[in-house]
Amino acid sequence: MDQDFTTPVENTWCPGCGNFGILNAFRKAIPKLEKQGINPKHLIISAGIGCHGKIFDYVPLSGMYSLHGRSIATVQGIKLGNPNLKVLTFAGDGDAFGEGISHMIFAAKRNADITVIVHNNGTYALTTGQFSPTSQKGFKGPSLPSGNIEEPLNPLSLMLEAGASFVARGYAGRIDHLANLMVEAVLHEGFSYIDVLQPSVVFTNTYKEFNASVEMIEKPAVRLEDAVQLAKRFDKIPIGVFYNVSKPIYHQELYGEWNPVVNRLSHAERIRSIALYLSDHLQE
Amino acid sequence: MNDDLFTFLIAGKAGQGTKKAGIVAANFFARFKRNVFQMNDYPSLIRGGHNFSIVSTSTQKIYSHYMKADLAVLLDQRSIKIHQNHLTEHGLLVYDDAIKKQEHGIGIPITSLAKKYSTPDLIVGIAGIATLVAAIACDRSILDTIIQKEYQRNVQDNLGYAHEIYDQVFEKTPKKFILRNGTDTDPILTGAETIGLGVSAAGLDLFFAYPMTPSTPILHFLSLQGKKLGVRTIQPENEIAVANMAIGATFTGARSMVGTSGGGFCLMQEAFSLAGMAEAPVLFFLGQRPGPSTGVPTYTEQGELLHSLYPGQGEFPRIVASPGSIEEAFYLSAELLNLAWHFQTPVILLSEKHLTESSMNVNLQPDKISEVKPLQHNNGNYQRYRKTDSGISPLLFPPSKEMIKWTSYEHDENGYTTEEAEAITQMHIKRRTKQESLVQYLKENIKTVNEYGSGEPFLFTFGSTTMTVREAVLVSGLQCSVIQLIYLQPFPSWHLQKYSGHKAIIIEQNSTGQLEQLLREKCGIHPITSIRQFDGRPFDPELLAEKLKKVTA
Repeated sequence: MDQDFTTPVENTWCPGCGNFGILNAFRKAIPKLEKQGINPKHLIISAGIGCHGKIFDYVPLSGMYSLHGRSIATVQGIKLGNPNLKVLTFAGDGDAFGEGISHMIFAAKRNADITVIVHNNGTYALTTGQFSPTSQKGFKGPSLPSGNIEEPLNPLSLMLEAGASFVARGYAGRIDHLANLMVEAVLHEGFSYIDVLQPSVVFTNTYKEFNASVEMIEKPAVRLEDAVQLAKRFDKIPIGVFYNVSKPIYHQELYGEWNPVVNRLSHAERIRSIALYLSDHLQE
Repeated sequence: MNDDLFTFLIAGKAGQGTKKAGIVAANFFARFKRNVFQMNDYPSLIRGGHNFSIVSTSTQKIYSHYMKADLAVLLDQRSIKIHQNHLTEHGLLVYDDAIKKQEHGIGIPITSLAKKYSTPDLIVGIAGIATLVAAIACDRSILDTIIQKEYQRNVQDNLGYAHEIYDQVFEKTPKKFILRNGTDTDPILTGAETIGLGVSAAGLDLFFAYPMTPSTPILHFLSLQGKKLGVRTIQPENEIAVANMAIGATFTGARSMVGTSGGGFCLMQEAFSLAGMAEAPVLFFLGQRPGPSTGVPTYTEQGELLHSLYPGQGEFPRIVASPGSIEEAFYLSAELLNLAWHFQTPVILLSEKHLTESSMNVNLQPDKISEVKPLQHNNGNYQRYRKTDSGISPLLFPPSKEMIKWTSYEHDENGYTTEEAEAITQMHIKRRTKQESLVQYLKENIKTVNEYGSGEPFLFTFGSTTMTVREAVLVSGLQCSVIQLIYLQPFPSWHLQKYSGHKAIIIEQNSTGQLEQLLREKCGIHPITSIRQFDGRPFDPELLAEKLKKVTA
């Protein structure tokens, strides 16, 4: 694997797009994770469909380029197939909170041991800038030229309320900070969510506002209510870890230490078990 | 005609234990080493309504229940209304005497005797068993053994109640039924059980499902027994998650299956197509019930045949097959899981409520099932979608130092997204080549059609209807052949064309003749007539036999 974690695929994001910040942060996070004992070959990635998803082709890690909204289910399936793997998916705001919102809520609820990084640009950029679940009210796009009439979702408070055990916000304009958040999220055991402020230079060029109003969180809230309150703050945009707690993990509750592909029952054992089941049901 | 056929019917409200009594009766007949076929009929509710269970038994192999009962135990007025004509010529009707006196039959204080016991509403199903044991003049000690084994909760109450019913029935039925002993000791299993056992034998690791009749019994069976069989079950938030998680799990090499029915399967179409593009080997169980839409949830139909043949957008190899008996379901489920991994493509096991929820004696030989290993990458640079002569690319699972990329986008051999004309063309050709390899493989190695009996006419059918058709042929005494299509996609025209121009009858459980449409279009088989039933109930072999005699006369 290349040490700079690049691939031969041509990058087709618009120059200046916030996605570059996320890609660069991730490329920095991979060797940091390796230092923490996570070999890149154990780090499996996925992505949904949208501008964000192209990141899948830009890093040479194994994984599955999933469907719009479904990558959250895909990585849960990968984790359930082989719990020894670390799984992470990139998703867009439309991806995670439009098409895939049920998967997000349930992944948080069951504390699935996955990491979800949402490239939150507040628009459907790849389909030319329609309003998305996190678009501000009044946002003008081709499907609602007079402006968005819906209030935006607050992804952080939603994830907190759904039961997420790790919730953070990063900014594509603060690459090192974001890389560290990614490392922390992947190392976290349980459901970890990073909402990334991602300016889209064409549709939501928000660098200036974000640069002026992001504020680092010093340490995560201890109480859930405080984390939710922090997530709802509007005067400043807090970035960093909002909440980080330890909770029972889904696959461990389900399997214990068992691993489907490592501890498979052999063919002979299966046939013996079936024969036993049949003999138990033989007629006397 | 089967000369020692005996049919037991018990009917009442949901919650009265008619289904349980049916299962206990089936096991009781098995004590005589007789064959049984048991069918449960119940509406979509938990208490009230009308439930019944029928068990037909014979010393010979039997493939269907019969609607006419030799002994009917009816627990409420509605059951009388529905089933009073469902008696054989010498059939005995036993009913609760709280219902107004019937012209024929014996009234027994089924509900009034129950009142002094702790769970009077739930205990009445036991009356059915006590009546059955008494009506064939079995010793009361046998009844005790059954109650102690099958009705363990409040067992003293159950025994007391069973004795009272037994004594009354014994006294009031001067002429008892005689049941000959048979020679069969095979276990009595439902289709859901044989499917669960079959996929386990072929190496299933994970079963994903969202509850939906009639696939739920497989989820329940594997949730209870799976651990011993090497299988774990997972119930995600909806069918979309079910299918996508299963696909994700296959990426790690875990053999995965999903269970669903029509509506749930519709939600999986997008993931089905992903499995086609990513070349993910997932086995889908599609259990049919009457549609369209929510339809009639707890009944049976074959209305999704055409729907099952081309799910998901785009062109990719699909495999669909349907078992013609509870026994065949065991072997076919295993074969389909193996085919999914052999060809790395989504596969559908198509069946019906009548198969998953009915039970019969089955002779299963697990050691006949193997777990086929997929084509695996050995060494060198790995390319997930490497072009090969067969169209099948070697598999490699993480963790690996090699990069393994599966994708929903059109892609190059490495799994990177492509929009290049030549690359698109090449990948289409790869998938088409895989389809051709599949057809060749089916032709050479797989039994795609079953043929029973000999001579014309040829009775074409598929799925669980095959069981009833075979039973009806026995009843009718007709000399004819039953042709059951096991594989429906790819459609085994190569095997069926020889029937073109011969006298054919097509029998299926839907209203528009979906199998007939396929046989006409693909094989030039034009039937002299077709027999269809679409009332949610399986065919009755005697009524079907009459129809067959009429159309062949």
